[in-house]
Amino acid sequence: MEALLEITPDVVAREMLTMDWDEPQTIERSATAIKIRGLRKSYGALEAVRGVDLEIQRGEIFGLIGPDGAGKTSVFQILGGVMQPTTGEAKIFGQSARETRSSIGYLTQAFSLYQDLSVAENMRYMGELRGLSRAEIQRRGMRYLKLFDMDRFTDRLAGRLSGGMKQKLALACALITEPKVLLLDEPTTGVDPVSRREFWDTLAQLSADGMTIVVATPYLDEAERCHRVALMHDGVIHQTGTPAQLRHHSGLKRLEVRAADLSRAETLLCKVESLADVQRFGDRLDVMARNAETAEAITRATLRSAGIAVNEIRAGAPTLENTFVAILRELNGEVNTPAFPVRRKFRDRAPNAIAIGAHELHKRFGKFHAVKGINLEVKYGEIYGLLGANGAGKTTTIKMLCGLIEATSGELTLADEKGGFRSSFVRQRIGYMSQKFSLYDDLTISENLDFFAGVYGVPPAERAEKMQWALEFSGLAGRGNMLTGSLPGGWKQRVAFGAAIMHEPSVLFLDEPTSGVDPLARRAFWQMINRLADRGVAVLVTTHYLEEAEQCNRLGLMVAGELVAQGTPTEVKAAQRGQLIELNTSAPQQAANLLKAEMESWRVSLFGDRLHVIVDEEVLSAIQNLQQRLRRAGIDVRDAYEERISLEDVFIAVVEQARREGKVAAED
Amino acid sequence: MKRIIAQMRKELTQIFRDRLTVALALVLPLILLVMYGNAISFSVTNVAIFIEDLDQSPRSREYIAAIAASRTFRIVSLPGGLGKDEALAAEVVRAVITIPPHFESDLMRGRNAEVQWLIDATDANTANNLRGSATAITQSFCRQNGLNPTAIRPAVSAEMRLWFNPGRETYKYIGPGTIAVVLALFPPLLAALAMAREHEHKTILQVYVSNISAREFLLGKTLAFFVLALAEFVLVVSSGMLLFGLRFVGDPSPFLIGALIYLFCCVAFGVMAGTAIDNQAATIQAVSMVCFLLSFLLSGFIFPLSNVPSIIRWVAYVVPAQYFIEITRDAFVRGGGWSAVLPGIFALTGLGIFFLFTAWRKMRRMQVNV
Repeated sequence: MEALLEITPDVVAREMLTMDWDEPQTIERSATAIKIRGLRKSYGALEAVRGVDLEIQRGEIFGLIGPDGAGKTSVFQILGGVMQPTTGEAKIFGQSARETRSSIGYLTQAFSLYQDLSVAENMRYMGELRGLSRAEIQRRGMRYLKLFDMDRFTDRLAGRLSGGMKQKLALACALITEPKVLLLDEPTTGVDPVSRREFWDTLAQLSADGMTIVVATPYLDEAERCHRVALMHDGVIHQTGTPAQLRHHSGLKRLEVRAADLSRAETLLCKVESLADVQRFGDRLDVMARNAETAEAITRATLRSAGIAVNEIRAGAPTLENTFVAILRELNGEVNTPAFPVRRKFRDRAPNAIAIGAHELHKRFGKFHAVKGINLEVKYGEIYGLLGANGAGKTTTIKMLCGLIEATSGELTLADEKGGFRSSFVRQRIGYMSQKFSLYDDLTISENLDFFAGVYGVPPAERAEKMQWALEFSGLAGRGNMLTGSLPGGWKQRVAFGAAIMHEPSVLFLDEPTSGVDPLARRAFWQMINRLADRGVAVLVTTHYLEEAEQCNRLGLMVAGELVAQGTPTEVKAAQRGQLIELNTSAPQQAANLLKAEMESWRVSLFGDRLHVIVDEEVLSAIQNLQQRLRRAGIDVRDAYEERISLEDVFIAVVEQARREGKVAAED
Repeated sequence: MKRIIAQMRKELTQIFRDRLTVALALVLPLILLVMYGNAISFSVTNVAIFIEDLDQSPRSREYIAAIAASRTFRIVSLPGGLGKDEALAAEVVRAVITIPPHFESDLMRGRNAEVQWLIDATDANTANNLRGSATAITQSFCRQNGLNPTAIRPAVSAEMRLWFNPGRETYKYIGPGTIAVVLALFPPLLAALAMAREHEHKTILQVYVSNISAREFLLGKTLAFFVLALAEFVLVVSSGMLLFGLRFVGDPSPFLIGALIYLFCCVAFGVMAGTAIDNQAATIQAVSMVCFLLSFLLSGFIFPLSNVPSIIRWVAYVVPAQYFIEITRDAFVRGGGWSAVLPGIFALTGLGIFFLFTAWRKMRRMQVNV
């Protein structure tokens, strides 16, 4: 196979100059791009889409958000023209979705890449299927790979790219036909925060150039970057509007409460009738109420009487996630985590006994040094979060820690043992939930649970009870005979989690347990993880969702196979130099582009509709500086203030810093 | 057309990317070829027999010498204490020959002498072969000794002559058949797997979204695996000629044309199977069972179709190997030329088109079936 995308300095230079679109389109925001009327779709007895009406404007980024199993994927498949609706119609630019296929780019949940073809071959095939000429494929392919910083990897097999890279390649393949409409079905599931942010910057660029983008995502901070969003639940659209409209629709105010014992504070405040909702986010509680002043008074009083110290209470506008969770609770009722049927007595251990220990842990795959001298200790009852970009070596580390792969060198401790991790005695005491679902797609949910109960040695007398619990936890009670393969991704994750803890392990490894899981279910996951830790289970968890990482007792940040930072969330954040300034501007995207061009790009990031800028100088002068710069470009700064640095800011800063120091991820 | 080529190139890239599969696709057929070519043989040699000579005369010893001289039989003595019948039952020997007393004197007096051959007929085919050999040996014994052949046979004898394969070399019969059976298995299996993989890995969705038509998609796949099948064909036929000493009898062009159509037909079957079953594990089972067993049992490879009950024979009409075996036997053994193979070629063309059409009907909407 000849090299399709040859990179010569000359080509690169030319491409850099012509990064604009082939046909500069005059953008009419008012033109309707997608029109959906009375759409319904049934699979046998199950009605997944129950009458959807939508109109999406040209050049709009339209977010379809909703819990797992709301029917989002069905809508995407119909819009993509790959499935017939049962009734109703979906028109794209006045034509049926089927007829306009050639102007649609569709990114499915599974990315649809050929793992055994190289990056260039994948792009070439996709381009040729759409009838593009070779020259065109080469020119456009080059442009997108360059744009995504992937032009070095044209010869790499798609199967050997990391999650973030696969996603970018899939997007490049979808873009190569320069579609008018781009359909993205949960494109950022399993993708690290850095790549996710870059991905959304690209989308904003595409939309500004006139492309219509419809995107489904379980991450609501991403949904904030959509022009409009629709909340879908149970096959029906409940609310449509701009993120701001949705946020204010509820009429609720938000209080950020920072207190000493958050989980106890949450339980207490949840019982207070006059507060509309209490949600845990990282290192704070969000209290939702109609009236901010009375809510603050009530909160302070409640916590004081329980002897919990309140560090800070701040009023703010509700986020999209606040609203989403509040609406879903209204529609669905609270997701109650059913009480876990505990049948085993937890062994008494010396305080500070080490459950998971690693000393100078190394792993080499041939020439590739994947894990470079990791030292970590997790005690019983502790939740340890392992964070890192895709390809940083987290999964390899977990697999070594639980004995699935042999370490090249280093000492390991697991569940009080120094070796023989694969013995049934040790395995009985550990639980492992892998990144890719370890469930059998061709078995029913009950059969899967039964199988795992069997292999992990759950006593027969307890099985029925444990399986019932797992089903209830997954929200699938009474649906145990569904085929696992037919479940949406988020639901599979819940079943897999249930399956991993049925045997009451004392050490639990969770590799991206909440990837692709909706916000409500994510809460249930963490509730359960916290409960297990309270019982003395040692939990090691990886996640790309850094808000939930704040719930860990300790964190380790991995970059290119090394642990570069370790400590409690507070310690990790305190170690970050610089101040964070949050800006509320009239044109967030343009403001971000402008500032990124002027300062190091990692310092600037979009959080929803707000701009985060990390500065080293003094806060007040920095704010003035930023305001002036933006005003010169005609961008109005509505509000600017110092904000606490979030874990995500730290993560991005650390990863970028490591990159600049030449520590690079596996694929660089 | 451009899209067909794009599809084909992508398939070929995937095929050759996976070195192990390519190696297996080319080597396994060779192994099968060697195995079948040697394991399946209808010639019977070296069969253990016991001779009970009650005459103990020079003539009887001559008769025994004649038997011993044939490659078919190997004379053994019975282990102590074992009777004739027990030896047969225990499969120590496959035949027991009893030469009666007065054998020599009967022959000298021009009387009919009777020699008893007890042959184990558990395996009817072998028993038949042994009977033939016994008769032949006896006849030649009579002729050599200037005896009236009627001494052992009825007066009327049919003079038989074997055509086409005068030496009755099994290779000439089995060899061509093996080529057909081996080619019936691997190309369709790989084609079906590639098809099922698109469903299993959901890459098919990207294909649905693009504007390639079902026709182009299927043709692209078929062509790619046709190329692979062709490589396998060249390899298998040339090794077959080498191993079995097969030589074309007459014009090879009907065979070559027939082979191209046969390969197309096999690959089309695989593509159809992969389209109908979208799961790789099930595909492997379905294709290997159908292709292999049917090509083995209902193609006339070993068992002549004329012996198959007529209802089952109808099934045999849709087994492509059946037609191709006829074509190969014609090319290597009979040399009947175009007129002899034309019906087979038409049948294969029809079947191939039918398979592809069925696949197209399933795919034609290029949408998720629910």
